[in-house]
Amino acid sequence: MQPVLALDDVHVVRDGVTVLDGITAQIAPGRCTALAGPSGAGKTTLLRLLDRLEEPTSGSVLLHGRPLPSYDVLEVRRRVGLVQQVPVLLGSTVLDDLRVGRPVLTEDEAVELLGRVGLRDQALSRATASLSGGEAQRLCLGRALAVGPEVLLLDEPTSALDAVAAKSVERVVRALVEEGLTAVLVSHDLRQARRLADDVVVLRAGRVEEAGPAADSDYLAGAS
Amino acid sequence: MIAASLQPSVPDWYGVAASVLLVGIAFFLVLRERLGLGREVLVAAVRAAVQLVAVGALLLVLFRHTGLPGALAWVTAMVLLAGRVAGGRARGLPNAMRVATLAVAVGTASTLGLLLLAQVIDTSGRVVVPVGGMVVTGAMQGASLTLQRMRDEALTGRRAVEARLALGLDGSAAFAPHLRTALRTALIPAIDGTKVVGLISLPGATVGLLLAGVNPLTAIRYQVVVMYMLLGAAAVAGVVAGRLALRTMFDDAHRLVA
Repeated sequence: MQPVLALDDVHVVRDGVTVLDGITAQIAPGRCTALAGPSGAGKTTLLRLLDRLEEPTSGSVLLHGRPLPSYDVLEVRRRVGLVQQVPVLLGSTVLDDLRVGRPVLTEDEAVELLGRVGLRDQALSRATASLSGGEAQRLCLGRALAVGPEVLLLDEPTSALDAVAAKSVERVVRALVEEGLTAVLVSHDLRQARRLADDVVVLRAGRVEEAGPAADSDYLAGAS
Repeated sequence: MIAASLQPSVPDWYGVAASVLLVGIAFFLVLRERLGLGREVLVAAVRAAVQLVAVGALLLVLFRHTGLPGALAWVTAMVLLAGRVAGGRARGLPNAMRVATLAVAVGTASTLGLLLLAQVIDTSGRVVVPVGGMVVTGAMQGASLTLQRMRDEALTGRRAVEARLALGLDGSAAFAPHLRTALRTALIPAIDGTKVVGLISLPGATVGLLLAGVNPLTAIRYQVVVMYMLLGAAAVAGVVAGRLALRTMFDDAHRLVA
């Protein structure tokens, strides 16, 4: 099966420091791929390359076999959504927030989105400032989904949350993958990577140390 | 039409010399209190005198011999200087100097141009230079505050901007709420100044005219024009600075580079 996203010999050098050193990897469709590895291994940089929030120094990033720069960058970002580590709410109400990326979103569609991210009971008029951390992060997920992406990039989406809130976000992510969405998860939490990921790419010092099914990963096995 | 053809009662050179006594008092107090500022007081006093005499001499030549072109050249020099000051305050933003200078230039040209075209002010150098100076100052403050705030927003609002970019918004749309915040902040001093003028502050133009013996009701007419032009200059320069800066803050792939 053709990968949704692929990296071909990608190098990133920033201020003379090599952050990624010849990465070649694939993201399979409809699966959750974890980017694992110690801090400073280049996981977040790799994730940002997939959304063109950063550019490789050399090598290429491909979406359905075509280099990302051959697409309109705004189209790339609508097709490849991103959820950041710390939830950043952009609208004053839940509905406003969901509409940032898709102003024409109807209230019915908004309610359906909230259902998909486990916020079924939330009123669309609720002030985003009153949401808990877990609710805010799930709203960020919903906001990313509103644009209709085929891939969701998740940059340590639960690291700023307590255990209960983290579980609620994990359940939503897993359910979305079961629906057919492709997810790329950056996590330094090996147990979480084991729980969520179908595949894993382990990075160390900017290189791929291991890549393949999460169940076969020696690196993730260290979590148990 | 507001023109300057008055014979104000100003101090003669003897009076200026007598005012040196005040510098002496300041110098004496600074020494007595051991503030370590004696040298600075003297340097500041001498500098002020030398600068003002030089400017006075230059303006004399300008007013007598060069007419409107000379006055506009003077205003242009002020615009360049103001652009450097405003740009310097926004270090960290790409092309801050160029953006600030252009913004001050557009703010000044539109405001002063309108005042001249509508014949609100006289085209003589002795009117265009001081009024131009006030317009440039207003434009500089508008541009400077806008750019400073945009730079701060680019730092503190980076996550929010990237969250919008990640939703497929272009750079302008992703920064739009931050630009609004920056412009609001930049225009508040000009708006507040306009609100309280006469109640809290009696600005330089009015003070100058009152000292020159002008009827207070005439003096305030001038002040109304001054306040409106300061508001206009700050608004135009602020918006131009904001729009121009926005173009430099994102690259072709709509990434925040500031």
